[in-house]
Amino acid sequence: MLFSGIPFLFYFLPVVAVVYFCLPWRLKNGWLLLASLFFYAWGEPRYVLLMVAAIALFYGYGIATEKCSQKAGKRAWLTLAILTGVAMLGVFKYGDFALENWNLLTGMGVPLLKLALPIGISFYTFQCMSYVADVYWGKVPAQRNIISFGTYVALFPQLIAGPIVRYVDVDRALESRKTTWEDLSEGIFLFLTGLGKKVLLANPLGELTVIFRDADEKSLLFYWLYAIAFALHIYFDFSGYSDMAVGLGRIFGFRFPRNFDYPYISRSVTEFWRRWHMTLGGWFRDYVYIPLGGNRVSRGRWVLNILTVWMLTGLWHGAAWNFVLWGLLFAALLLLEKWLPLLNRLPNLLRHGYVLLIIVVSFVIFNAETLGQAGEDLMGMFGLLPVPLITVESVYYLKSFALLLIAGFVGATPLVRNGAVSLQNRWDGTWALRIAAGGALLLLCTGYLVDGSFNPFLYFRF
Amino acid sequence: MKKSTMVAAALCTLWLGLTAVAWLSPSKTHSDTERRELQQFPELSGESVLSGEFMEGFESFTLDQFPLRDNFRTLKALFHYNLLGQRDNNGIYLSQGHAAQLDYPLNGASLDHALQVIGRIYERYLQDSRVFLSIVPDKGYYLAEPEGYPAMDYGALFEKMQKGMPYASYVNLTDCLTASDYYKTDTHWRQEKLIPAAQRLCDAMGAPGPMQQELRPVAAQRPFYGVYYGQAALPLEPDTLYTMESNLLSQCRVYNYETGSYGSVYDLSKLEGKDMYEVFLSGSVSLLTIENPQATTERELIIFRDSFGSSLAPLLVQGYKSVTLVDVRYISSQMLDRFLDFHGQDVLFLYSTLVLNNAFMLK
Repeated sequence: MLFSGIPFLFYFLPVVAVVYFCLPWRLKNGWLLLASLFFYAWGEPRYVLLMVAAIALFYGYGIATEKCSQKAGKRAWLTLAILTGVAMLGVFKYGDFALENWNLLTGMGVPLLKLALPIGISFYTFQCMSYVADVYWGKVPAQRNIISFGTYVALFPQLIAGPIVRYVDVDRALESRKTTWEDLSEGIFLFLTGLGKKVLLANPLGELTVIFRDADEKSLLFYWLYAIAFALHIYFDFSGYSDMAVGLGRIFGFRFPRNFDYPYISRSVTEFWRRWHMTLGGWFRDYVYIPLGGNRVSRGRWVLNILTVWMLTGLWHGAAWNFVLWGLLFAALLLLEKWLPLLNRLPNLLRHGYVLLIIVVSFVIFNAETLGQAGEDLMGMFGLLPVPLITVESVYYLKSFALLLIAGFVGATPLVRNGAVSLQNRWDGTWALRIAAGGALLLLCTGYLVDGSFNPFLYFRF
Repeated sequence: MKKSTMVAAALCTLWLGLTAVAWLSPSKTHSDTERRELQQFPELSGESVLSGEFMEGFESFTLDQFPLRDNFRTLKALFHYNLLGQRDNNGIYLSQGHAAQLDYPLNGASLDHALQVIGRIYERYLQDSRVFLSIVPDKGYYLAEPEGYPAMDYGALFEKMQKGMPYASYVNLTDCLTASDYYKTDTHWRQEKLIPAAQRLCDAMGAPGPMQQELRPVAAQRPFYGVYYGQAALPLEPDTLYTMESNLLSQCRVYNYETGSYGSVYDLSKLEGKDMYEVFLSGSVSLLTIENPQATTERELIIFRDSFGSSLAPLLVQGYKSVTLVDVRYISSQMLDRFLDFHGQDVLFLYSTLVLNNAFMLK
């Protein structure tokens, strides 16, 4: 079930919310868990059992880890938890990728597993593993109530596309929480803002990328139009989803971490990754990079740590070589930025230009079906293919999408937010504006959803 | 009341209000604007749930049955066009007051398929006939390029069809028509504007053209909302549909091979239906023959056609004893000799660019 779908907006969510607020506290987590399992089963009727199994296993691992008095025993349970998580990902997400490459290398014909990727598996396995790690490090006590633990893992707002919520972020809220009118107002407005990003910006920009892919006649202009449209599409798609998730969490009394902080205004790749998918970056930092020794190791080992983390980051996004390449590209750039401080001395404009160029190029690699396609797209962008500069088609789409692209550029900066804050500081009536804007977003998005069929979520495949 | 309370209360009221209407509105079976059946509540069973069929059906059901669906679609279209500046909505664009469909690029495989089907028909039935080819340009021919919309390569299409049919004499209609000869909200051409095109065809075939002085346009009582009206979802002005009436046409009988019955050239009951254009020869019929009781000739004409032929064919009746219309989208060309006797009649292949560019339905 998509957040940006009529069944969620006008059937699932209203029922879940109304019942939730009517129930006494002791039943609220149970209701949320039940609703979350239903939400998951709607898209993955069979794989809901996998998630229930994960909840049961990691619930047990958490308690076992805590109960062990010996360090070695704790470590053994943590290792088992990590192996379980990795095995789940290995079988369902990376199995066929590994087998394909094995077959390619050895010439053998080991049959592929051909398993459908369970939605959100990358998110909930990471949450489960980090929970046991936090228990191991003594950051949090193990959760004794399986309903509460199940609610943490399966909570529908963040279940299938993040943000990656750590147990430590919500453990108190699982025991006691309250939704104030302010929470409700902020939560609804944030959800509608995310819905608007997704439906009004990301979906039409995504359509442009599909039009490009289907077009017979490419041109230099069209390659760039595609690359820029995709970079904006993926940002609004994912950050829109994250806003909706955080907004929903707030409605139900949770405070989820932010996942994006205007990444496209960054002045270095290092800064970009502090602003983009922040919960994933933080997860890899705390649960992979630092345990590997971080930067408090020899230079060679540190480089290896960086390469490992970024290769895993690439692979997390998908089981294909273009994702590995994408991750390693960022690893190389991050190392370069650390070693060559030249960037810091450049004027801001150039620094922004450098980051935007890297982002656009990197997402072209990211979105390619194969490495070959990535290469072709990049060659097209840089004039290395025998295509004309422009075609009637590409000029048409430039004109047709010009305002949307401009809206995308503006929306990817804090201009709108800053304007709203500034207005709020000077005028007392912004609450009325919020009602009007929120209502307009709900009605407009409903119009788009009722009319259109192009509504995929990119990050569901991770 | 606190401001946050007012914001939350107002937005919850709107949201829950819409939810209540969505839940309580009775289901509709048909959308007039989109000319299609609407999804009904899907069958609920263990199998349909496990396979995901129920969920898919439910999602379609909620989309199709959403209250004020047409108004929401219009809201979206207005925002899309006017605020986001998008130049088409669902592939429909507005130009010179017309709604038209983006149809590009030229689909070479589709043309090959059309030529293959037509070639088979010629080989099997038409060796003794005089064969003519005429292509109906869709209105994008007149509207797209001048306004900067991408369009198929019409020149290449015409050339490829002519070269692929060396046995046929080509009759060019492009200079007999303009954008205003098409309905503003529909894909089709207007019958009352087709006299020059009909005359051009009759001249080429050596048959008397339509008797202009006898033909009089009669307007339908209801406004005509064409197929693009629903797709564009914009508040467009409807068209007026005219039928060209004459003493001759009122006397002609039309034999429908599907029903085995006779009717008239204009099926006026269709003017009360969902697609008023079906008034011309009853719409989508695979095989029918117009019989001319006033014919002073034994000449017969067979037209292989699509829906554009329905409104044109009555204007060609004057010079023939009978005009037979064959739509090989609905009947296999392999079985035509079960119904028709091919004996050297004049034959006209009359297809629109829209069908030729999407010709895989030709059988």
